Amino acid sequence: MSAGQQDGNFKLNLNGQEVVWSGEPAASLADVIREQQGLTGTKIGCRTGECGACTVLLEGRPVVSCLIPAASVQGQQVETIEGLARLEEFQSLMAAMQENGGVQCGFCTPGVMVTTWAWLQNPALFNGDLGSALKNNLCRCTGYLGIIRSAEQVLAGRGAGV
Amino acid sequence: MSELRKKSPADLSAKLAGETRYLHDLNFPGQLVGAIYRSPYAHARILSINVERAKQVEGVAAVLTADDLPSYKYGPTKFKDWNLLAKDRVLFIGDEIVAIAAETKEAAQRALELVEVEFEPLPGVFDPEDSLKPGAPLLHEDVESNKPMQVSVSRGDLEEGKRKAAVVKGGRYYSNRVYQGHLEPVGAIASWSDEEGITIWAPSHIPYRARETYAAGFGLPEDKVRIIVPPIGGSFGAKYVLKVHVIAAALAMAARRHVKIILDRYEDMITAHPRVPLTFDIEIGADEEGRFVYKELTVYADAGARVYWSPNVVSTVCTRADNIYHFGSVKSEGYLCYTNNSPTTCMRGFGNAEMLFAVESVIDEIALELNMDPAELRLKNIVHQGDTTLHGYRLDTCKLDECIEKVKELSGWHRRASLPPYRGLGLAVANHVSGFRAIDPRFDGSTAVIRLKQDGGIEVETGEIELGQGMSLTYARIASKILGIPEEAILVKSGDTGRYPFGIGTLASRSTVMGGNAVQKAAQSLAARLKELARETLGEAADFREGAAVLEGQTYSLSELASWYRARHAGEELEIKETYVPDTDLPDATYFGHPSPNYPFAAHVAEVEVDPDTGRTKVIGYWAVHDSGTIIHETMAKGQVLGAIAQGVGWVTMEDLLVKDGKVMNPSMMDYRMPGANDMPKAEVFFIQGKDPNGPLGAKSIGEVALDPVPGAIANAIAHATGKRGYALPLSAEKVWKSLQNT
Repeated sequence: MSAGQQDGNFKLNLNGQEVVWSGEPAASLADVIREQQGLTGTKIGCRTGECGACTVLLEGRPVVSCLIPAASVQGQQVETIEGLARLEEFQSLMAAMQENGGVQCGFCTPGVMVTTWAWLQNPALFNGDLGSALKNNLCRCTGYLGIIRSAEQVLAGRGAGV
Repeated sequence: MSELRKKSPADLSAKLAGETRYLHDLNFPGQLVGAIYRSPYAHARILSINVERAKQVEGVAAVLTADDLPSYKYGPTKFKDWNLLAKDRVLFIGDEIVAIAAETKEAAQRALELVEVEFEPLPGVFDPEDSLKPGAPLLHEDVESNKPMQVSVSRGDLEEGKRKAAVVKGGRYYSNRVYQGHLEPVGAIASWSDEEGITIWAPSHIPYRARETYAAGFGLPEDKVRIIVPPIGGSFGAKYVLKVHVIAAALAMAARRHVKIILDRYEDMITAHPRVPLTFDIEIGADEEGRFVYKELTVYADAGARVYWSPNVVSTVCTRADNIYHFGSVKSEGYLCYTNNSPTTCMRGFGNAEMLFAVESVIDEIALELNMDPAELRLKNIVHQGDTTLHGYRLDTCKLDECIEKVKELSGWHRRASLPPYRGLGLAVANHVSGFRAIDPRFDGSTAVIRLKQDGGIEVETGEIELGQGMSLTYARIASKILGIPEEAILVKSGDTGRYPFGIGTLASRSTVMGGNAVQKAAQSLAARLKELARETLGEAADFREGAAVLEGQTYSLSELASWYRARHAGEELEIKETYVPDTDLPDATYFGHPSPNYPFAAHVAEVEVDPDTGRTKVIGYWAVHDSGTIIHETMAKGQVLGAIAQGVGWVTMEDLLVKDGKVMNPSMMDYRMPGANDMPKAEVFFIQGKDPNGPLGAKSIGEVALDPVPGAIANAIAHATGKRGYALPLSAEKVWKSLQNT
């Protein structure tokens, strides 16, 4: 982190690409992603780190980007829903979510997908089930069971070599 | 053709990939940021407003007070108590006084800080019953005694019912202030032009009614207001009509630029228009055999400082549940009361879910007293197919008895007698409507346009609104079944009052039945017209079936039919508009009538475990059985039920928007706790399939009836687990713990 810098230029590794943004170092990562990079898949629901709509991956771990100063993640890998959506295996999670009713209004969905994706990569990272992994992702529409079933289905399918 | 559907903002794959653009994601060149100066007092006279310093801030483009704006009284219902901005008096904490538009958020914020308003605080009233007492501060000078509305319903001979009663149970129940908890915060973007008037991008699911309301606020003709609805990130009733929409419009008119206002979560929650809190005094009597003989109800409803949709909620409270049981006789008195709390409005369940919490609780008390199984007591008193209910609902279909039998079987209801300590099973039933005539007495139907596109795809336009419930998928499926073409070839469009057919609004669980019937009718007409077109072009022997014209074994695709039509009609597209007019009767002055084309039913069982040391309730199992006629899209229907269970778990066990002297005490998602994934019980959803003659493909509604029984079922399970009845929602750990100490 380049402490003390004011309205400087910062480098961000976003979805595998190095991008430069300029502005206040304390600007939230969510704002930089949305406003400077135009990646509006990352949603802002509460700005207090409670709802999880702004979840992105930082070095593979889900974080709430509304609380993270953008300058503090220089040199680290940040992945947003737009980056993940390009991956082939992500399609199977998308298909499962449609099939199992894991999505309704869709506002929490990118954040939910990011967390679920991270869990699929490494369930052990969360010391438990997907329910615990999703503790920071509120969904007011689906009742969560469709989301959990989708993730389990993808995990089981992968185990069977699909 | 699968690409066609992908263009729809309602498309699920677009939502899953983060491509869907909500209001927050839309921006216009030259757009300004709007901000609102709000009252810090629950009730105060405004002595002076000085915005001169705010206007000097660099980057500020417009600063408005009530003096700059028209002062029509307007509002979404017949109670016209809205203003654009407060002039002489503020009525709640958060009431809007000054609106500012600036180049940046920072400039708007600086200007807000420089607004100077001098207040003279006035005494406030915060409890609906207190507000009716003599001497209570009057909120609206033209409304006598803070009571904008009183509902009186009486049917049958109550006195005779009371004489027949062998068991009488009841008491004072209280339903809480629940925040709708939409994940997408409230906001709007507005623009103005002399030719077009006001355009508002607003995630409202009643945009035509909003247009009417807002036009009245500015004294404009309705066609000078256009509402464009971006994908809606959750509403549950919170996003019907909002002051932030008109304030954005006022700023856009003044600045002649686009103005965007997104409330932050704090601002959203302090000015939230939550579920109407209700105080019920209820009594139900039954004879020795358990047949209900009367129900008597008095209810006080907190409208807050201004009327949004609370009157309709109160009417529902006073009538809907009477159409699920044969009560013999009923009497209800409902009082809608102004207070200095922030205004309240509808939330999924719309008065019915609240009332059923009380009714289903009382019925369990009667069962206990009569030493009867609560399921048996209900079976003895419920309505049946072919009945006309107490208030006139004609039940062409009703499988509530089957719902109860099935939910007993699925939940293992027989376990109820032998559960371990602090475990409980609770049952509750519910009805609802599929649209409601009195929402707009002038017209309650729906219109759909269906169009054959040049590439052979089909476009459906509707006045109803997709808000995540799956309306677009449902309509695509209806049209697909009628036309015999893949769903992927059908694109459903809606949400623009300037382009799509008129709609009352997506409320009262009306989208599947009202809009769906219109889509079905339009698709049937299109199929007939395509058959004609095939004959006109290929000869009398030609036919249209399964998405193609057929003659002598040769098939001609929809794309070819589209070309034929264009060639014969000067390049026009084949387009059909159909209106569904439901066969309903507007309830009369006594609230008697048949207000909906059909009525869905449900029976739910909840299983809970209560921790006696903390009082904390964990819902550990849930079974929901529904009669919603033919289920058109099972995944989305099931999603509605599961989502409702989660909302009910939150409502009953944790959620409460706490207000003290008009001030919201927990205005953040940290302090207002909503259920997370681990709060959701294992749940089983089952649909009793049937075919309602008045629904599209036989369907009835699902969205609200899914929530209606949940509070009652969980409350009854807690009472079963603890032996203590909870009267006030939420049945939080603290309240349950306290009830366990009172032995």
